[in-house]
Amino acid sequence: MADVILKNVRKNYDPAIHQDTLRDINLDIQDGEFVVFVGPSGCGKSTLLRMIAGLEDITSGELNIGGNFMNDVPPVERNVGMVFQSYALYPHMDLRENMSFGLKLKKVEKSIIEKRVNNASDILGLDPLLDRKPKELSGGQRQRVAIGRCIVQQPGVFLFDEPLSNLDAALRVKMRIEIAKLHKELQSTIIYVTHDQVEAMTLADKIVVLSPLDPNAATNLEQYGSPLDLYHNPANKFVAGFIGSPKMNFIEGEIVEVGEQESKIKLVTGDIVSAAVDTSRASVGDAVEFGCRPEHLVEDTHAHAENFITGTVVVAEHLGAESYVYMDVKGFDFTFKARSEFPTNNGDELRVGLPTKASYLFDSNGIAFPRTAKYNKD
Amino acid sequence: MAMVQPKSLKYRKLATHVVLCLFLCLIIFPLLMVITISFRTGNFAVGELIPSNPTLDHWRLALGITVVNPDGSLTPPPFPVLTWLWNSIKVAGISALLIVALSTTSAYAFARMRFRGKATILNGMLIFQMFPSVLALVAIYALFNKIGEYIPWLGLNTHGGLIFAYLGGIALHVWTIKGYFETIDPALEESAAIDGATPWQAFRLVLLPLSVPILAVVFILAFIGVITEVPMASVLMQDVDKLTLAVGAQQYLYPQNYLWGDFAAAAVLSGFPITLVFLMAQRWLVGGLTAGGVKG
Repeated sequence: MADVILKNVRKNYDPAIHQDTLRDINLDIQDGEFVVFVGPSGCGKSTLLRMIAGLEDITSGELNIGGNFMNDVPPVERNVGMVFQSYALYPHMDLRENMSFGLKLKKVEKSIIEKRVNNASDILGLDPLLDRKPKELSGGQRQRVAIGRCIVQQPGVFLFDEPLSNLDAALRVKMRIEIAKLHKELQSTIIYVTHDQVEAMTLADKIVVLSPLDPNAATNLEQYGSPLDLYHNPANKFVAGFIGSPKMNFIEGEIVEVGEQESKIKLVTGDIVSAAVDTSRASVGDAVEFGCRPEHLVEDTHAHAENFITGTVVVAEHLGAESYVYMDVKGFDFTFKARSEFPTNNGDELRVGLPTKASYLFDSNGIAFPRTAKYNKD
Repeated sequence: MAMVQPKSLKYRKLATHVVLCLFLCLIIFPLLMVITISFRTGNFAVGELIPSNPTLDHWRLALGITVVNPDGSLTPPPFPVLTWLWNSIKVAGISALLIVALSTTSAYAFARMRFRGKATILNGMLIFQMFPSVLALVAIYALFNKIGEYIPWLGLNTHGGLIFAYLGGIALHVWTIKGYFETIDPALEESAAIDGATPWQAFRLVLLPLSVPILAVVFILAFIGVITEVPMASVLMQDVDKLTLAVGAQQYLYPQNYLWGDFAAAAVLSGFPITLVFLMAQRWLVGGLTAGGVKG
């Protein structure tokens, strides 16, 4: 059991070129929390995890695990266990040896090793496989062994580096649920890296959104908060675009009426829309970007169709349970999540409704204006 | 592979087999000739392929048995061939072991560690290795002469010195092993580090067991290299008793008297240790050791 605190952490692989990978990362991860680092490739999320594990050194800043200063402590003394993206099982050892390897190195008593290995294999359902070599296992089983190897060490913090990215879609969902169950059972701190925002949303108590570091940016930690907080109140355009699937729609415009509860924005299409955001810090004429999630768009006859936007249908995907209509609005891509079998043809003009309460607004720096309402479709 | 093949495949297969058989003959024929010569009466290079009066005299001399000639005179074995063979095996075995030990450890450093001048050293080693060691013979002679003044068992005319000299030629082996190490996911050692292994333990308990095939290959290559090496051994070794077989066998061939038959017997003899080592090492030459460890 341990909490993890990062203070002003910076990573620079090659100080000769002033190109940081991570800058000014501040995180306070509580004991027992499931925290997910998420971001596009190249944002440094794996690097950050490896820094916590001790596989990469920390250029500057401070890392505390369980109240101890850990910057210069070797991995084994950090009280962490890690599951690698590639599983990294020892191919020449059977599962029992794989799981007990670390304990044997630490000269733990044989009976205790056996107890812990049996306990871990119980939890993970590996009992019938203990005498097999990793190559005789399926991907999901290997992943479980990698997790088991962590469990037997009884670390305070579990580190998962994209553990599911090598599994097929069905298995991924299954393992995701197992990991969630495991967290409930073990009650230990878990830090989990993924580029898949669905995994992040479903597993996390808290999500850390990282972006590839812009050389001039103060930090590349975009937002740290609970999944729904990130969904409803993204701090900036990057988080808004990253969280949610399909991606949020963005369209440029300018403020025509400033308000504390509701503001009016003139879009590049010429349409004037109202948005439930607090723009009191801005002024009329400021360039902004208006955002609306595909799942919040409605048909133009809907009760919440308070504003309208018209575009040309590029393609429509009918998934059975729902339809995605991809539109072109004055050069901006718009996705509309419509009901099942929504009738439309490619090339059609389509008018969709934008509910006032479902709108997001970002200033020219991408910083979000506070939203004043929560949208409810019904 | 049940791939659908065009009909001409049959003829192409046949042609391939014919070519391969010809190629095999090309390789095996000289070997068979040497064996034939070692059983042929007299010491001639040319003659019938299947000896009409096969004799074991050459083999007797090679194995140190005095030969009784038809006229009753005795021919004592001219050279201690078995001693040479033993010298060869001893020097080659110890050199190969040390070469494997040295080249794996340095290959590990080159494959896994970050340090200044890594690329320069790697390329430098390769370039230096490109000059034949024969070119440096005089320097090697002078060096070992000097070393011998301080450490007698490493000087000229000692097997220690010879082994030491052979340890200089590991650049290619370092490259070979480094290439193999780089195919092994570093996550395995990182995982070991988190499990609590020191770098040495990660190397010995995780990386080395997975590298057995390449170690076997390097051992065989090093062993063959030493067994067949002549220039260095011929300069460093002086006493007849201390020669290796490759150097010693040439003693049969002096301008006034080419003893081809005796030479052939010694030559065949020198092939034995190599064959033996290869057969022993073969069971380590297996693939798929790293299968299943990481997602392929």
